[in-house]
Amino acid sequence: MSEERKDCLMETYTLIITEKPDAAQRIAQALDYEGKPKMMEERGVPYFLALRDKSLVVAPALGHLYTVVHEVGGRNYYPVFSFTWAPRYLAERDAKQTRTWIEVISKLAKNANAFIDSCDYDIEGSLIGYCILKYACENKEDVARRMKFSTLTKSELEKAYEEPLPQLDFALIEAGKTRHEVDWLYGVNLSRALTLAANRWSGRYTTLSTGRVQGPTLKFLVGRERQIRCFVPTPYWSIRAEFEIEGSMYEAEFERKWIEKRAEADAILEECRGKNGEIKNVAVKKLQQMPPTPFDLGSLQTEAYGFFGYTPRRTGDIAERLYLEALISYPRTSSQKLPPVINYRAILQALGRETAYRDMASELLAKEELKPNEGKREDPAHPAIYPTGNLPERALSDPEKRVWDLVVRRFMAVFGEPAIRQSVRVCIGIDGHRFYLRGRQVLKEGWMRFYKPYIRTEEVLLPPIKEGETTPLEQLIREDKFTKPPPRYNPSSLLKKMEQSGIGTKATRADIIETLYNRGYITEERILATDLGFDVVEILRRFCPGVISVKLTRELEEKMERIQRNREKRESVLIEAVDQLKPMLEEFKKNEENIGQALSNAIRRAQMQERMIGNCPICDTGKLMILYSRKTRKRFLGCTNYFKGTCKTSFPLPQQGTVKPARKNCRACGWPLVNVRIRARRPWMLCFNPGCPLKGER
Amino acid sequence: MKCIICGGEALNKYCELHEKAHRSLVKKYDAWKSALDISWKEYLSEVLKNPYTGAWAKEVAEHLIKREDEIHDESA
Repeated sequence: MSEERKDCLMETYTLIITEKPDAAQRIAQALDYEGKPKMMEERGVPYFLALRDKSLVVAPALGHLYTVVHEVGGRNYYPVFSFTWAPRYLAERDAKQTRTWIEVISKLAKNANAFIDSCDYDIEGSLIGYCILKYACENKEDVARRMKFSTLTKSELEKAYEEPLPQLDFALIEAGKTRHEVDWLYGVNLSRALTLAANRWSGRYTTLSTGRVQGPTLKFLVGRERQIRCFVPTPYWSIRAEFEIEGSMYEAEFERKWIEKRAEADAILEECRGKNGEIKNVAVKKLQQMPPTPFDLGSLQTEAYGFFGYTPRRTGDIAERLYLEALISYPRTSSQKLPPVINYRAILQALGRETAYRDMASELLAKEELKPNEGKREDPAHPAIYPTGNLPERALSDPEKRVWDLVVRRFMAVFGEPAIRQSVRVCIGIDGHRFYLRGRQVLKEGWMRFYKPYIRTEEVLLPPIKEGETTPLEQLIREDKFTKPPPRYNPSSLLKKMEQSGIGTKATRADIIETLYNRGYITEERILATDLGFDVVEILRRFCPGVISVKLTRELEEKMERIQRNREKRESVLIEAVDQLKPMLEEFKKNEENIGQALSNAIRRAQMQERMIGNCPICDTGKLMILYSRKTRKRFLGCTNYFKGTCKTSFPLPQQGTVKPARKNCRACGWPLVNVRIRARRPWMLCFNPGCPLKGER
Repeated sequence: MKCIICGGEALNKYCELHEKAHRSLVKKYDAWKSALDISWKEYLSEVLKNPYTGAWAKEVAEHLIKREDEIHDESA
């Protein structure tokens, strides 16, 4: 047997291209007739030999091996409109290893007599496979076949291999190429324009970027920040009344939740005080609550943020790992549909092997018909996210366990019966004023039983109350309230906003949010736009408003989607993108000096902010900053009032690693803390107060 | 012209952002007056200490209070 496998590379074989090494291993395992493919390695690149009806070589990519590059010329000018596709190692400094991967795949392609693309079936996957077949395998894109699957389970992979699509999905590839090319045109030109403007003014290099989706996203955040910073609250009052019913206290709200004048609120209190309430009316309403729809990537990311606090990017990464372990279906989907072909019963039976899901799976299997409550959204490439029914082969990490459990329970919940909730509203009259006592209760759990503990319901049970009864008023409370500013976005609500506005794709949105953090345009979990973020949006708004226009971005997005459906040509979208960019860049160039000055000032302020620790605890008027000694180049904390000659406070700092403001105060002495990071050591918070009581404890 | 609060580019007295905050302050005074029957200066002090007031609105309120005080001192 092993001889047979060794000979595999001597003869011809089918070369199967996958997107990642994990997927290659799983595909090779599923297709090998013994389930034991031979793992080979050449210059650090793994690939697998499998035997089936013929010899198979399964070779992985490392995500994108090719990218869009400037056809000729250096990096220090714009506009640039001529581009070509080239290996990533030629364009990106941190992609050196892709060279070896391309060389190994090219070598393996030489003896192959058939080619199959088995990368993920979406825009990115299709483009990865296409580029490898075209460039590394030398124009094999027209002869290659395509495996299409939504899970990495053995049965689905075998079926996808036995019944491959006769050719690649060229419409999807065209859409992918266009997206990368348009993004490159926008990204490279605008980012160069920003970076060069700042660099030419200040003589210092700082990478600044913006892009087709980055710009409008940052605009959302800056717009919200402006609303918050300009916000002036309005006062209003509300009244609560506490009644005693059957020995327990119940709280009722005044009929108007919003009383505009304090005098009016006081008058109502005066009129009601010392009087008893009379039950005027008891209204009972029953509501049917349908099961949730199956998860698409966005709703999974939102739910995981709400319950576990995971950022969309983190949830996306965890879901990707679960997919590669064949535990869930392909997660980068926008579908809310679960077609019967996935075989609901088989999945439930398989999930029933897990003790935690046994009872629920049996309950669903006992139903005559299983019909999921599907949402409206569809994805031509993949169904909604669902568990494959496979149980973990290794011990999952806690985050992986949580996300898998969420997907499993959501899958079961969509088949559940509607839940029935009852709401009760009791109207209590006092001297012509009405107060409402509200109760709510779940009468029939239905689907909720399957989705526990991911349900937010708070039951308020009321005792039996009859109309005409009198109830003693125990207390009246006037609450002084103010209107609140709109909430700051968090990574999850921002992702939702991007989705609703139709900008970005399910695969790119989470990464774009990360980029905004990395560039220093935004900070904190409750997202705060920084001064630099403000200035970038302001500059773009003044000189190239199209870049931050949500409408233009959405229109371009829609056109790219039409390419996917063969209803639009790649060339026309590219020409349109160039036509939009040209006047913007000309305007930008004309104003480069002003832009450079504004950006340089913003960068300087941002850098100063990064060194500012907090108020000086000694003089209380200056700020403590991380400074460097001119003589020794050692860093220390010093008060800004030193330069005015009024405060000489200074503290030593560790000289190794990085030191940043922690934006927190010491719990013992209240002095600001700094965050110290040294390589190979756990980061720690340092209180630099020599007299801090915690130091004595230690 | 420079913004009298932040020194940024201004069309009138304030930069675009502080102008927006100023407009918001002026607009909301009617609601506060009707709710609490307070003077403009009392209103500004209330807004200044309110935790929900935005940073730029606070800066404008602080500036307006200072200006009121100066006018008062001058007339005295």
